[in-house]
Amino acid sequence: MKKQIAIFIMMFMGFLSLSGYFINNKILKDFVDNDANQWYMIIAGFAAFLGVINLLQNHLGKIAYKKNNWQYSIFTLLGFLLMIFFGFLYNNTDSMMGAHLKNEGSYFYWMFNYVYLPLASTMFALLAFFVASASYRAFKIRNFEATLLLISGVLLMIGRVPIGQIIPWWIVLIIYISLFFALFGSFFKDKKIFVINYLSVNIIFLIAGSFYFQWSVSNTPSFLSIPLIQEWIFDVPATAGSRSIMIGIALGTIAQSFRIITGREKSILGD
Amino acid sequence: MNDFFKYLFSSVLIISFYFLNPYNVFVNGNEMTFVFVVISCLTIEFFIQKAKAGEEIYLRPISGMSAMEEAVGRATEMGTSVLFVPGISGLDQIDTISGLVILGHVSGMTAEYETNLNVPVAVPIVMETAKETCKEAYLRKGRPDLYNDNMIHYVTDDQFAYAAGVNGIMLREKPAAIFYQGKFYAESLILAETGNSIDAIQIAGTGSSSQIPFFVTACSYTLIGEEFYAASAYLSKQPEMIGSIKGQDYVKLLSMLLILIVVLFSMLNYLGLVSFDIKDVFRINII
Repeated sequence: MKKQIAIFIMMFMGFLSLSGYFINNKILKDFVDNDANQWYMIIAGFAAFLGVINLLQNHLGKIAYKKNNWQYSIFTLLGFLLMIFFGFLYNNTDSMMGAHLKNEGSYFYWMFNYVYLPLASTMFALLAFFVASASYRAFKIRNFEATLLLISGVLLMIGRVPIGQIIPWWIVLIIYISLFFALFGSFFKDKKIFVINYLSVNIIFLIAGSFYFQWSVSNTPSFLSIPLIQEWIFDVPATAGSRSIMIGIALGTIAQSFRIITGREKSILGD
Repeated sequence: MNDFFKYLFSSVLIISFYFLNPYNVFVNGNEMTFVFVVISCLTIEFFIQKAKAGEEIYLRPISGMSAMEEAVGRATEMGTSVLFVPGISGLDQIDTISGLVILGHVSGMTAEYETNLNVPVAVPIVMETAKETCKEAYLRKGRPDLYNDNMIHYVTDDQFAYAAGVNGIMLREKPAAIFYQGKFYAESLILAETGNSIDAIQIAGTGSSSQIPFFVTACSYTLIGEEFYAASAYLSKQPEMIGSIKGQDYVKLLSMLLILIVVLFSMLNYLGLVSFDIKDVFRINII
């Protein structure tokens, strides 16, 4: 019975929230836009106490029973109690309690600015190193897809920095030719023929570009300009890929919501 | 075939009522969204009913989902715990709900294999829901004795403090299997790279499209896009849930056809062969 009531509330609120978007009724619209959100915030607010109690129970238990790594729990509890003390009991300023949180002289403000923020920034800064190690793994040439990823990654990186703007057309042309020969290099049995072909193709295209097409710094075709290539990669293939994922996510959300609203998805209630 | 016409007739009736009602009952400007929601829901319902009637439905194997049991099994063999990270958002996000639905299945597996489960959470209301989900899953598997409330514990609601806390758990306890299922932001790469450094099997699933590349790079398996939302249906193996996935696939096919039509008509409009702009029909005004 307890579970059936929960399922009924889940279904009722789901239908109500959905109908709020389509039915032209002020009371319903106000409920969906404001009241329902406030209800959620109130319930979540009460749940915050449960979180605090759980944190205390968990870490006090670790210290009391000297479980593995119990020493770390002392620091967690110390930080927690210290912030409660400076937040609720002692503020070191003339400001009222509550207003002192934004007063530069309060200990709470000091702890927030000089302990908490640097620690959070340190964690955020770690991302730079993680991005580097993840990129290294992703860019390792294992197959055709990884090679494509590497090429587009490098072009995007160069195209987004100032040096990318000043790379002349002939360097990009040489890069194209080199990539072509890297892909089809295995067809050449003799290394000498490969080198001669590579050099002659480079020379022919460079001469054709300079004298026949008259390419220059001011007259660079878009496919030889790295900033324009990176813009194209970003706007066309990357956007197409991400939009297809977005459409999949939207359809998945509709199906999941439908299963929940119609009471078929009950795993969240343990069924 | 009769059922098909029944659902077709129902959708036409509902949509006609929306467009033709004389009392201004419905919001102006949301017509296209309404039509799409009705078509999607009735298509999904149609396939759910077909599946319930006993029609065989083929689901392509998704390696990430098949690997879930394998990952729990690996943790059991190695004698370590399974770490489940439900993201940092609240229950107002469908991703968190989907993550908790998957947690129900994973906790069922840990109950079966008698493996420790560790679920650090960032939002207290998610903690309470996760506790209920796990408790019921252990009960369903007939192992309520293995469940304890400390499995699901609150860390903090701050994004990077949570990442630091979970990283600490990973480095100290070295879980053999890590699940990231829920809504993630910038902390996704910090978590996944740390998990990678301890050689854990990592299975990620999220609806945050900007975080998918990070998970793909650092995790063993990633549930991309709709796979993440289909995971529960896939794992439950119930016919009506599987039917909903087939319905979803047909809606996807319909979307692809619509995209093709829009592209075609836009090209004809650009060339001056058609005078109206079809994009105006598909424009959504309010939502």
